[in-house]
Amino acid sequence: MKNRVQPMDAAQAGRWARRLSARVSKVLAAYPEADRDNVRHTLILLEQPPLERLQRSLIRGRATAIFRK
Amino acid sequence: MAAPLPFSESELCLLQVLLKHKVRFMVVGLSAATLQGAPVVTQDVDLWFEKLGELKISQALQEVGATYVPPSHLNPPMLAGAGAELFDIVICMDGLGAFADEFKNCVDIPLGRQKLKVLSLERILASNIAANRAKDKLTIPVLRDALAATQFVKRRTKKK
Repeated sequence: MKNRVQPMDAAQAGRWARRLSARVSKVLAAYPEADRDNVRHTLILLEQPPLERLQRSLIRGRATAIFRK
Repeated sequence: MAAPLPFSESELCLLQVLLKHKVRFMVVGLSAATLQGAPVVTQDVDLWFEKLGELKISQALQEVGATYVPPSHLNPPMLAGAGAELFDIVICMDGLGAFADEFKNCVDIPLGRQKLKVLSLERILASNIAANRAKDKLTIPVLRDALAATQFVKRRTKKK
């Protein structure tokens, strides 16, 4: 289960962020009632392989459970 | 030392062996939503089996050192043994149709050479709306937004 996203340099990261922002705006234009953060996080996660998404969710879920105890 | 990853080889093997034995099941709940890109957190992976307790489930689980524990008194059915701790068995899904009907509309997630059936984001949302528990109320807006974003991406991919 490897992360498919390649490491980026600063210029690439900037381009990626601008592209992401543009895509978020397009989704919000089609779904104005949607929350910007939820849309942004979904688009970021869609760049990851499905099992990597699950792994992240489980890690955060566990951390939250430990924090609550 | 870093903590071991929650979804490791043993969890993967458990799912693969069920698929290899042609057990009809699907991933449901928030783990299914997260596999499809929804930004939600979960602590377990919910599995919905068509025929819980059928022989091929036990035979498959035995191959990886796990077992099916039938329900007893106040305990729900569960999986136990190697790689099974993460999985919960779901016996009913609010707001959904029969297993066979929902199975047709599942999303396929590649798992090695096999395909894992995952309840679609639309149906997860429908189930959460029907269940309407306190925790569902928190995730419904996130699932709705995730559905909007994934539908947008799918439409764009189709156009290309």
